[in-house]
Amino acid sequence: MNMQISNRIKVGLLMVCAVGIFACTKERRVRYEVVNQQANDIVIDKNKAKTDRQYISILYANLFQEALPINQQVATQNVIQSVGDRALVYEIILSNYMNKSGVILPPVSEMKDNPEQFIIDTYKRFYLRIPSELEKSFFVNFFANNPNVTPELVYTAFAASDEYIFY
Amino acid sequence: MTRKIKRKQFIKKAAALTAGSVVLPYILPSGRLFATTPDPKSEYVVYVLFAGGVRQQEAVLQGYLHTSQDNFDSSFAGNIMPNLLKGDLPTKKIAFGTTSPGGTIGDTPIPKILNTPLEEQGVLFKEVRAVNPGHYGGLNSLLTGNSSVAQGLKVRPNFPTIFEYARKHLGLKATETWFIGNTITNSYNLLNGSEHPDYGLAYGANFFAPTITFGSQGQEVLSNAKVYHPQDELAPMYKMKNFLDNAFRVKQGQIASIKNTDEEKNQIKEFVRNTFQKKAAGQIAFPPVSDNGDMVTLAYAAEVLKEFKPKILVVNMTAVDVCHGNFSSYLRALHRADHGVGWLWNYIQTQIPEMAGKTTIMLSPECGRNTNPNPIQDENDWFSYDHSDRNTSRVFTLMAGAAMGSTRGTFSDTWDFSNPGAFTTDNVLTIADIMGIKNKIPPGFMYPGARSLFDRI
Repeated sequence: MNMQISNRIKVGLLMVCAVGIFACTKERRVRYEVVNQQANDIVIDKNKAKTDRQYISILYANLFQEALPINQQVATQNVIQSVGDRALVYEIILSNYMNKSGVILPPVSEMKDNPEQFIIDTYKRFYLRIPSELEKSFFVNFFANNPNVTPELVYTAFAASDEYIFY
Repeated sequence: MTRKIKRKQFIKKAAALTAGSVVLPYILPSGRLFATTPDPKSEYVVYVLFAGGVRQQEAVLQGYLHTSQDNFDSSFAGNIMPNLLKGDLPTKKIAFGTTSPGGTIGDTPIPKILNTPLEEQGVLFKEVRAVNPGHYGGLNSLLTGNSSVAQGLKVRPNFPTIFEYARKHLGLKATETWFIGNTITNSYNLLNGSEHPDYGLAYGANFFAPTITFGSQGQEVLSNAKVYHPQDELAPMYKMKNFLDNAFRVKQGQIASIKNTDEEKNQIKEFVRNTFQKKAAGQIAFPPVSDNGDMVTLAYAAEVLKEFKPKILVVNMTAVDVCHGNFSSYLRALHRADHGVGWLWNYIQTQIPEMAGKTTIMLSPECGRNTNPNPIQDENDWFSYDHSDRNTSRVFTLMAGAAMGSTRGTFSDTWDFSNPGAFTTDNVLTIADIMGIKNKIPPGFMYPGARSLFDRI
């Protein structure tokens, strides 16, 4: 009888020990961090030309922050095909857009006050990348030497450039 | 040692002899070192692609209703192209002109513009074989001088066009060669340059399709362009753009387009702006009767000629293709095509002094039409014609103006399909001959048997 009680006590003690050993592991606190990654790199890796439709839709959305109406899209595509020099007709379309109300451009003061930030923003807006140091310094110097240059002319140059035609 | 000196002397002498043998033959009596291209026969060429499939029987054969519809005897024959060809107008059942008040449709012939038809100002190759029965293939052959059996639709010509030969071998700017098309359908907007690796779009022509470029769509998209100051605004803009382009460096052929210089671009932009202003002010000169797209196309071709004075301008017309389903409309379109070409030639001679007397005009249909009609009847119960049988190969070529000098006459006046007197593919070599670059066309690039028409006279 006493033996039986003693065994029960032993089993009970073993169970308490087991619970103590396995259930009370100290919690390890793990922290996962995000490594900073440059989203807009300076690698120019664009080798597919945009179609006329892609070009005008993207350009219109870029300048007006809204979608190009479908009837205008069709008319614009036809007009592009009716002119032999694609770059030329893009430039004329662009200058028509610049003459429309509703085009969203940064103020001249933004460009004058912080030309470096302006050019970084412009590269991101049109090319989806940041400029290299060479590109940055070219534009900063260019703005300094050409005080009549406006954001509109800069945007025209970017929108008419070869890189903007590719993705 | 002696052997070494001898070897040295031998090499020296051999090098001198080789150099001499290369240079000496090119020292010409004129004192020039290298042969130049022959002098051009005329300074400017206007080439009309006439005009969407023209049936020989209603054109140079002047059969009118007699040769096209049943139950009309020879008294119904006559010439409905009086500006191009000599011959009297039909006198019966007139349906090709304008409509008099209260009259039947087309009952009044359009008054002649040229006192002397072009045929009498140059030469007519009366029976010419078109090498392709279709529109795009036919136009390709008129512009490349090659039938190019492998030519597909919706792709640029396989062989170089006359624009490319002229620009490459004469060093012409893009604005010195123009192709004016009447539409962008049927891939016509691809005919301003080929995909040939030795030529290609780097030497292609400028292109407008005026019914679109300056039509309602162009009005909506292009007419409100901002006017930038050339020095203060455009010059810095192009400097920035050129910097950006140099950084990106597009490989040749990646952008499928011709390229104008910045100066040329400015001139074209100015032209586009002025043309919209002239249009709004009603100052565009049109042929007296301008009730179809071909006439509008010719009017804008004249504007391009006046502004750019291109060495080569090609203009395409297609209105006569209505012949598939309406013969009366076809007759009206053919009569107007003649009217329009007469007007254009007169415009060059009277309104563009720089080109007057220095221009050669050349025209050919890209294909003919069938011997027998299809079953479609029009409002006059006249039958229509398609283009697929051997009669489709029968066309003509007309050439007049400066390059002709005193040469006049009719050539190749009998039809022989197997042994034709001329081909439509002759035209490219002929224009190259006029421009003085015939000998620059690489061997094998032309249709077999093609020759300059000057060599056939």
